[in-house]
Amino acid sequence: MRKVILILTVFFFIAGLISASETWAQKEKGKPKLLRLTFYYPVGVAGPLARVIGEMTDKFNKENEGRVEVVPVYSGDYDPTMQKVQTAIMAGNPPDIFMVEISELPTLLAMNAVLPLDDYIKKVEKGYWEDFFAPFRENAVIGGKIYGVPFQRSTPVLYWNKEAFKATGLDPEKPPKTWDELKDYATKLTVKDKQWGVTISGGWNDWLFEAFVRQNGSFLISPDGLKANFDSKEAIEALDFWVELKHRLKVGPPHSTWGSTPPDFVGGRTAMLYHSTGILTFLKRSAKFDFGVTFMPQKKTFGAAVGGANLMIAKKIPKERQEAAWKYIEWMSNVKNTAEWSVASGYVAVRNSAYDDPVMKEHMSKNPEYLVARDQLKFANGKMMAKNFQKVREILKRQLDDSAAGNIVPAEAMKIAQKEIQAVIK
Amino acid sequence: MRRTFRLTTYGYLFPGLFFMGIFTFIPVFMSAYLSLFKWNINNPEPHFTWFSNYIEVFKAPLFWLVLRNNLIYAFTTIPLSMSLALFLAILINQKMGWIRSLYRGSLFYPTMIPMVAAAMLWVWIFNPGLGIFNYYLGFLGFPKIEWLYDMRYALMGIIIMSIWKNFGYYMLIFLAGLQGIPSHYYEAAAIEGATGWKQFRYITFPMLAPATLFVFIVAIISSFQVFDQVFVMTQGGPGDRTNVLVFYIYQHAFRFWDLGMGSTLTTLFILGLLVAIWLVFRVIGRRVYYEV
Repeated sequence: MRKVILILTVFFFIAGLISASETWAQKEKGKPKLLRLTFYYPVGVAGPLARVIGEMTDKFNKENEGRVEVVPVYSGDYDPTMQKVQTAIMAGNPPDIFMVEISELPTLLAMNAVLPLDDYIKKVEKGYWEDFFAPFRENAVIGGKIYGVPFQRSTPVLYWNKEAFKATGLDPEKPPKTWDELKDYATKLTVKDKQWGVTISGGWNDWLFEAFVRQNGSFLISPDGLKANFDSKEAIEALDFWVELKHRLKVGPPHSTWGSTPPDFVGGRTAMLYHSTGILTFLKRSAKFDFGVTFMPQKKTFGAAVGGANLMIAKKIPKERQEAAWKYIEWMSNVKNTAEWSVASGYVAVRNSAYDDPVMKEHMSKNPEYLVARDQLKFANGKMMAKNFQKVREILKRQLDDSAAGNIVPAEAMKIAQKEIQAVIK
Repeated sequence: MRRTFRLTTYGYLFPGLFFMGIFTFIPVFMSAYLSLFKWNINNPEPHFTWFSNYIEVFKAPLFWLVLRNNLIYAFTTIPLSMSLALFLAILINQKMGWIRSLYRGSLFYPTMIPMVAAAMLWVWIFNPGLGIFNYYLGFLGFPKIEWLYDMRYALMGIIIMSIWKNFGYYMLIFLAGLQGIPSHYYEAAAIEGATGWKQFRYITFPMLAPATLFVFIVAIISSFQVFDQVFVMTQGGPGDRTNVLVFYIYQHAFRFWDLGMGSTLTTLFILGLLVAIWLVFRVIGRRVYYEV
């Protein structure tokens, strides 16, 4: 008897499963196909920005209910995101949409992984592409083709602690404008074992260094990503200026990490800080003192290399998925959403017209310091980019770190960087 | 009869071997095979190049710096954490009631925290301005040290953190070993007039040898596997002064996407570790006394 019951139970269980799956399959057939897209994205700076991306995407999904659903996957900061995207590409299962650090484009192209977007961009309203700030567009274009849409973008700026300025007898409303003033102020502001004059953050010090080279009127890698230019007179001078601040005068820490310097600034451990605009919201929330934001001081000119990440579409996915992915990117990069993202994150709004958006206007009138990064764009250029950029970064950072410790003279360090980097980007 | 016995034996072994094979043995042989190929962003299709990857590894000055870092790490963390663990194990093996559980619990505490969480914690402890490490050092009259920022001290910071993290586990094994030593040895020794040090030298230490050997091997392996704390606290910087072998492998394989070099380094790493462990067994293993 028990055996019979058991057999019957198993039978009905299996029969139930089969019929359930059949009705499910029929139901699916009747509906238009739902495209579920994956979107890998990083958040390069501190803050609850993953939530903002989630909320924006939810709105998009609601508007496209039943047709497209984008699943955002937070993938760590820039380096881990690039690793995850690369791994997925190599495994033949790329995320449909991804946002990676702008200098990685040549590497992704070498892997034949990114879709050119020109055809899609042509179909959008006139002036869409031109509306993006010019320096932001630079890192999306290679060989005349557009491969990405600017979204999460920033430039480095200088933050200064007004109270520390007052305490030293400096005018709290007058930040340094030139390298010489920077050196002079930093020296005055340094209190041994208590407060550094100026901290040039580590971690992405390669990016900050590029800004100094720009300010000195030169560049590090040619725009086509093929020629290294690390041993120029200007680059060596820029590095020597770092060594002077960090090693000879000891008015700034020789090394640091990207994540720990904003808390250092908030904690009064340093009076001036070179860092991304992306941390402005964090500083405003955490600093107990009055501080200012300004352009990075100039040598021959003001200058910066832009930073951040662009939205891209994978090449090796079906056409219908690419079209759906473009729909999402177009939506994320419309004027209203770029403004909303900028207000929520503190990143620079990537489009000119976003600054005419009423929400944005109100935010800017209350927080004019957010405009500094945008205004600095007039003096900014695209960031250096090349194949094997991760390796380029490691090589350059090692030389910067060793120079700052006084282990090697700048001319020698830059000669090594030039030789090693040229060998990996060729 | 014998035959069926064998079949069941292998039957029981099979699932374990199967998964070990898929996730350990096959990948090990695969990476040894791939180490003979150039396979990176410049060469998207792997092509066979004999031992050129190996030559490239040995010619890179950075590899020797990384190896040196890792050896410094091993030669400091292993003896320090082991002796600290043994010392504390003997201390808390004394009979002293409830306070013993309190000590045992608090000493074992660091081991229970996940490594990544502990590393985040130590980033703050080591923070030059706000961290408590400098704060306490200041009381003792030491100058402020920019722990993780300074090329000269960053590796030392990682070492201090790792000792704090690892000694508890070793201590627990020592403690188990100590509790396995019959007390009549000590009683006999006391009657013969052996003092504390002599008891340690002639009873505790030799009787503890199997536990010590085990801890030693585990410590060697873990000192070459060090990765999490480096990844979280320094990313190998400043200037590669905290770059260690596994981090170096990770950089090549996943950051530079140089799979040929990554495989080469992995293969060298496994070979090196096997040789080290074999040496330990040869030199020390034979002298270990196992009480049957």
